[in-house]
Amino acid sequence: MRIIGIDIGGTFTDVYLVDNDDGTQHVHKVSTTPEDPAAGALRGVEEACERFGTAPSDLDYVLHGTTIATNAVLEHDGVETGMITTANYRDITHIGRHQRPQNYSVQQDIPWQAAPLVERRHRKTVPERVSPDGTVETPLDETAVREAARDLRAAGVESVAVCFLFSYLNDDHERRAKELVAEEHPEAFVTTSSEVYPQFREFERFTTTAMNGFVGPPVVEYIERFKRGLRDLGVTAELHVMQSNGGIGTEESIRRTPVNLLFSGPAAGILGGKWRSEEATPGADGTNTITLDMGGTSADIGIVADGEIVEANVRETDIGGYPVMIPMIDIETIGAGGGSIAYVDSGGAFRVGPRSSGAVPGPASYGRGGEEPTVTDAHVALGRIREEFFLGGEMGLERDRAGAAIDRELADELGMDTVEASLGVLDIVNNNMANAIRSKTIQKGRDPTEFTLVAFGGAGPMHAADVARELDIPRTIVPISPGVLSAVGLSTTDIQYDFITTEFTLVEDADPEALRRAYDDMLDTARSRLRADGVPDGRIGLETTADCRYEGQGYELSIGVGEGGLDDLEAVRERFDRAHDAEFGHNFPENPVEIVNLRVTAYGELPSSERVGLPDANSPAAEHALDERDVHFRIDGDTEAYETRFFDRTALRAGHRIDGPAVVGEKDSTTVVPPDFEATVLGYGDIELRQRGKAR
Amino acid sequence: MSRASRTVREQTRWYEYPDDPGSEIDPITRRVVGGSLVNICDEMGHKLTRTSYSSIIRESEDFGCALLDERARQLCETDSTPLQMGPIPAYVRGVIEIFEERNETFEEGDVILHNDPYHGASHAPDFAVVVPVFRAGELTGFSVTTAHHLEVGADKPGTCIIDTVDAYSESVRLEAIKIIEAGERNETAWQLIADNIRVPDMVMGDIKAQISAARVGAERLTGLFDEHGHDTVKTAGAAMMDYSERVLRNEIEALPDGTYSAEGRIDGYLDAESDAEKDVFLGVDLTVSGSDIEVDLSRCDDQLDNRPINMPFAGTVVPAVLLVVRSTLLDTETFEAVPQNNGITRPVSVEAPKGSIANPRFPAPTIARFCPGNRLADLTMKALAEVVPEKTCAGIGNLKIATNSGMTDDDEYWVYMDIISGSYGARPTKDGLDAVDTLYANTRNNPIEDIESHYPMRVTRYELREDEEGAGEFRGGYGPIREFQYRSDGRVSIEGDGSKYPPWGFAGGEDGSPGAVVVEGEIDESTPRSKMSNEAIDEGQHIRMVGPCGGGWGDPTDRDPQQVREDVLDGLVSDARAEAVYGVVLTDDREIDGAATAALREDG
Repeated sequence: MRIIGIDIGGTFTDVYLVDNDDGTQHVHKVSTTPEDPAAGALRGVEEACERFGTAPSDLDYVLHGTTIATNAVLEHDGVETGMITTANYRDITHIGRHQRPQNYSVQQDIPWQAAPLVERRHRKTVPERVSPDGTVETPLDETAVREAARDLRAAGVESVAVCFLFSYLNDDHERRAKELVAEEHPEAFVTTSSEVYPQFREFERFTTTAMNGFVGPPVVEYIERFKRGLRDLGVTAELHVMQSNGGIGTEESIRRTPVNLLFSGPAAGILGGKWRSEEATPGADGTNTITLDMGGTSADIGIVADGEIVEANVRETDIGGYPVMIPMIDIETIGAGGGSIAYVDSGGAFRVGPRSSGAVPGPASYGRGGEEPTVTDAHVALGRIREEFFLGGEMGLERDRAGAAIDRELADELGMDTVEASLGVLDIVNNNMANAIRSKTIQKGRDPTEFTLVAFGGAGPMHAADVARELDIPRTIVPISPGVLSAVGLSTTDIQYDFITTEFTLVEDADPEALRRAYDDMLDTARSRLRADGVPDGRIGLETTADCRYEGQGYELSIGVGEGGLDDLEAVRERFDRAHDAEFGHNFPENPVEIVNLRVTAYGELPSSERVGLPDANSPAAEHALDERDVHFRIDGDTEAYETRFFDRTALRAGHRIDGPAVVGEKDSTTVVPPDFEATVLGYGDIELRQRGKAR
Repeated sequence: MSRASRTVREQTRWYEYPDDPGSEIDPITRRVVGGSLVNICDEMGHKLTRTSYSSIIRESEDFGCALLDERARQLCETDSTPLQMGPIPAYVRGVIEIFEERNETFEEGDVILHNDPYHGASHAPDFAVVVPVFRAGELTGFSVTTAHHLEVGADKPGTCIIDTVDAYSESVRLEAIKIIEAGERNETAWQLIADNIRVPDMVMGDIKAQISAARVGAERLTGLFDEHGHDTVKTAGAAMMDYSERVLRNEIEALPDGTYSAEGRIDGYLDAESDAEKDVFLGVDLTVSGSDIEVDLSRCDDQLDNRPINMPFAGTVVPAVLLVVRSTLLDTETFEAVPQNNGITRPVSVEAPKGSIANPRFPAPTIARFCPGNRLADLTMKALAEVVPEKTCAGIGNLKIATNSGMTDDDEYWVYMDIISGSYGARPTKDGLDAVDTLYANTRNNPIEDIESHYPMRVTRYELREDEEGAGEFRGGYGPIREFQYRSDGRVSIEGDGSKYPPWGFAGGEDGSPGAVVVEGEIDESTPRSKMSNEAIDEGQHIRMVGPCGGGWGDPTDRDPQQVREDVLDGLVSDARAEAVYGVVLTDDREIDGAATAALREDG
């Protein structure tokens, strides 16, 4: 079995090729081609196959993570999109929740008003209405739909979102309208709100549907282009694309709901982190993992609790300020990366990020015209990053420039020396990341000391130990090839489908048979979809859950309701009480519980890759040290220059132990081992960091 | 009730802050502590929204959370609605005052419930839950949540009541009640409150959610003391207050000294007989002197003894003024992360004579203070527009709040509260925001699919108004049209403003349009109404709420013709209005008729 994973990032496109039969795996990096990302990706596939001696026709699975949908939203670069909606509700997507994004601003813009996904002129209303019990109150005016579709076509609209109230209870009108639009405007990309996300809250659902329409054509076109390119290279395997929920979507599902690709890239990283954590914890059943993926401009944080990747509450997900209701991994993104700029503001406060120097001009130490000090510059000024490792020595680093920028912009202003100011930059950025992790752990009743931190991305391994110390996380893993873990993560995933039915009913009033039937319908659809994808029954996994709340509350918790079906409702209720207590610290066992949504998540297991062990060490790590140099660290408030050993990671072997202070360099990253930490190279080459003298 | 020989002041050994806390603490620790404080408030808000019952908290986010030091100085707040957070320090000062009067002390494990508008509350429906935080036996701070409760035991259902006669008719009065005393729930008080509320399950559930969020705040603050040391956290907090103060003073300093004034009227009781009740006059005189701002409200009308549109001074008036100073001079669009803490309040002082509508005497009723307060904020901005026009906007459209109620088949009350937004005036470089909450309110509407699933009501229309914007080079925002239909007999109360006086235009921009309340078969648009008192609505009857459109900025004939064309294409401006008001003529194929436009604009 040969699997190839391709992850397109802002700067580089990473390719990971694994052959399960002979146990080889390879990593290849090419530059991303922003004007046509498929071009760079295809070059990467071609070169990787050539370099590693695999015929493209021998590939069994092609797995792909892409930011194409994300960029279309963030750059507002989608297609002209129209909407057909219920008469009297033309402006739902414009008014939103009538709330301003910022409390204290008169000059702010509201994203959906300043840059609407569907302009008002393209929002057409038609008579129809479904009532809150799901029955039709006003029949669909088919003539009006046809007319609206013709108008939209004449106006040059390429994509149409059909958004009716209460369609999550009864989608007849939406489905019929879609047919009519397809007849009148056959070239249009048409989606309905009930197929995108059939859940109540009209503003969020309509906006998600509009976004699906907005990004749909470019995404579909991109996938087509990429597929054609693969075929031209001789690839015969089907293309699978990573979705925001961490599962692989098939071509057909991506074509229907491309909005599910919005968080494709970061999702792959979390899967990779989960996988490395599991491999580094053999025998553990259900690992607890915090993933920290820190790149040039931002850091993505994900949580794996008891072996399960934590999913976001659909109420809390947004992109570029627009709400999106899609099933996705809970990813906390903050503006903390190697390129984050440090500055002193007009009131004299020391700040880092979220503004970033980007690839151009980049940090001051790149010597490409960047004048403002960045997080990377702080590392360079402290002597932690060495030129010969930085991008494999392909690009120079100028320590003097880093120090000068820090002195000029920070140290002089704050009355500190270069070292203190540099350490301050790192303290602040580390604290920002620790706070983001707290919001996903402590705030949700999870104790970070029971988790393993997996740190990757170009910058993650430089900050891993400091973040772990701040949160008392006992164990940190820096995976092998930390800069390309997202591409690696692609190869570890499953096909995943999510199904949802909104069903307002009190648990005490619920008809278990009716609920069972609703689940069975979804389970049948799930099985037939996976079988159609070629997944054998033995590799199908099904999860049934219900979103529940105490009657009268406005937020739901997702509760498992049984193995492949529905347990008795009293058990579900008790589970909800327990989950409420775990999430919020209290519960109301005397209050009625309301079921809001029934869900089925279906998994089709793909053959996952296995990693090859690293040879065992047969000489002490110290013998492999390149040299020793002075690097500044602050431990317990005391700043000192420590004689620090530098290692080349490729020289390390399984079982090597390194006492901090030490720095381990490799082509795409640098791992910092502070004086109070020790590092161990694990069997597969991952580095484990632990604070000395800490139990566990 | 615990009596102690020591007063609160004696009980509390105030932490002795260094003279210049900023110099005592390194800037890095300050950032780290600051970030953690914000994180704690976020967690409090998260807990509160997710465990509360009423839509007004969970969907509308009409709540606030904050941490304060032992002197009731705010350290940080959550990101919810300003009108709930602004008054929090006043609530705590009010509780301290009452404790002093009663010779009562704070104990570890206490939870205090408070809603007295004459001791810091914003108005009676906004309950504060105050948890004192102790360190080594000493009071060292407060963790506080505030929230608007749907039903508070007033003389009529709900909380938007416009004809209460005094403070006693507005709610079950909570005068710094220890609802939990040293860890033990005061069951008598709990039961008394529950018995006086029409929908006790919902409201008591919300109070529980408030308590649990406030306790989390206290717990986390204690954790922060453990981590960094008590004194370090307190000093860092003080340094951040000084920082916010300094940044604001820098901005005030840049303004020319002088007194800047604005005045206007709000809808009083438009159908009242007395002139004093019909229209209410508000005047703002804002004096800049060095780095201080003093706002004098002595020109405002006197209080109305029998009408609850009087504004609690500490809980409504002061936060309204501060909100505008902050949102203009330290607009977060530019001043991304200046912490909202006690420092922001220091450069600004507000004066209003006792007995004024902006500083009523007990027991004058205050429950409907929302609209006058927001208008006061609007006029404060108008005064500032004189000196820093580039940071302000034209007149805003005020809001309406409606309480809908009725009886279920089981003879239980149902109560649903809806907030109908206004809109923003045009800004100096861009159009106003459409159909949003304005100034000191920033709540969320309730989804139509949620309302109709849970109450015998339909939202039969929700759209923007058309063709009625405040025209200008930049136009004001469009107000919303929100229409309801009752599906069973019920009653409605409405507290609103903006149906008579339009939002003001600025710098040559035209005024916006007033809003309206239309009751099918009873009140039409020709009768300006903005208030209703528990009036019967029949099954099937419609009520239409129309939000005002904000004022325009600059001469409409200076508006970019392309922008006018866009508005015409979007159906917001008619061809006729484009010609008459903006001097823009479109051809049949919807392009700008350059020659006709130029000719029209030249003549204009």
